[in-house]
Amino acid sequence: MKSFLSLFMATILFACGGGKSNIDQLTDSIASVDEALPEISQENIESILASIPAPLELSTHIKDAGIAYDKTLLNPTDNESNYTNSNTKALNLGIYGTDLGYTNIYGHTQDGLNYLSAVQKLSDDLGIGQFLDFQSIKRLTNNSNNLDSLLMITNQNFENINQHFIKQNQASLSTLLLTGGWLEALHIANQVTLKQMQNEELRERLGEQKIVLDNIIILLQLYSNQDSNIANLLKDMHLLENAFAAVDINYTYEESTSKVVDGVLEIVNKSTSHVTITDEDIQQIANTVEQIRNRIIS
Amino acid sequence: MKRLIFFLLAMSVVSYGWAQCDGMGKAKGCAPKPDSGYTLIKSFAVNGDNGKKDKIEYSYVFTKGTKYLLNVCADGESTDGVVVTLYDKYRNQVATSLLNGKPLKAIAYPCSATGIYYITYTFKESKGYCAGSTIGFKRHT
Repeated sequence: MKSFLSLFMATILFACGGGKSNIDQLTDSIASVDEALPEISQENIESILASIPAPLELSTHIKDAGIAYDKTLLNPTDNESNYTNSNTKALNLGIYGTDLGYTNIYGHTQDGLNYLSAVQKLSDDLGIGQFLDFQSIKRLTNNSNNLDSLLMITNQNFENINQHFIKQNQASLSTLLLTGGWLEALHIANQVTLKQMQNEELRERLGEQKIVLDNIIILLQLYSNQDSNIANLLKDMHLLENAFAAVDINYTYEESTSKVVDGVLEIVNKSTSHVTITDEDIQQIANTVEQIRNRIIS
Repeated sequence: MKRLIFFLLAMSVVSYGWAQCDGMGKAKGCAPKPDSGYTLIKSFAVNGDNGKKDKIEYSYVFTKGTKYLLNVCADGESTDGVVVTLYDKYRNQVATSLLNGKPLKAIAYPCSATGIYYITYTFKESKGYCAGSTIGFKRHT
């Protein structure tokens, strides 16, 4: 156990060099430990939580790929009343948060307002309604010229919720919030990719989610011994890990150059990455995500 | 009067040193400007604990085809000596805001290789050891 803790600290705070990434080393380490996990510092948990990308990025890639808005991909707001405990509320708050961002990016005001109401209801139920600036978001949703401000304030509100959970030693809820949000973005990406299997960019974005999944598994492992619901979700994520197993992400480093433009250092990046993912991989990932998501949203 | 001034100055130095670092609060003033085309996705607190910590590190998954803007703000637009350095997953240095001995306020990083990146904050002649930082993103073609 001590070796786990040492490795955890070392990888998060003082990592350096080596063939495998620090996150990979940490995953291996956790997988080999059967005992109860030690208490991990808030700072370290926060660091891993921060590494999970905002679902908004994936949704933006989908819109930029010219994919049309599809409301049927989202979790119906009517389901909101089905969520009765804090874990399902946190997971589905993340899901509705992604759906809210999706409707906002596409400028579907009424749908956006409906998802905002669902987000508000779950936030209130979880006792974090005060971190949601409902009136400002509603005003900005109604004004189509303020998309940047709308996305910024929505994102800041969700960050505030995350911070609150962390400060209150409820980082497990933060983990569920982020997992739900990521899973919903992955579900949307899967469904649009299945209809456009020839779209290389979408395929690549989908395959890259393997990296995020690794981090989510690390976070869930931290709480799986304390909560049977999280343990079950972890099992689901291991199924998803199997579905991603054959996906290969190849990375080649090349030194970058830079120049200063208006006080900002502009990097000219020359490193490259390439994702190898087959049609079968995509289908398997999509099937697994649907099974997991259906259990969460029903 | 001299004693009073000295006392007030001393108290202000002490309270400055004891002041809690509100890194997330500082990050709120550090968001990309709405007309910049960048959308805010992450905020980080950079709390050097009054100089007790010399390095703060976060990680983030950067995605190919996306341009990221990493901003650092201590007091207003000032960086107060906070340097941001970006490393890839193998710890190769990709970028640093320290140029000719002075930290710049932002790094724009057009990502061409998806992966985990480490965002490290260090301090160079910092007074407050406290800052906020944000990541904004936009499509990169």
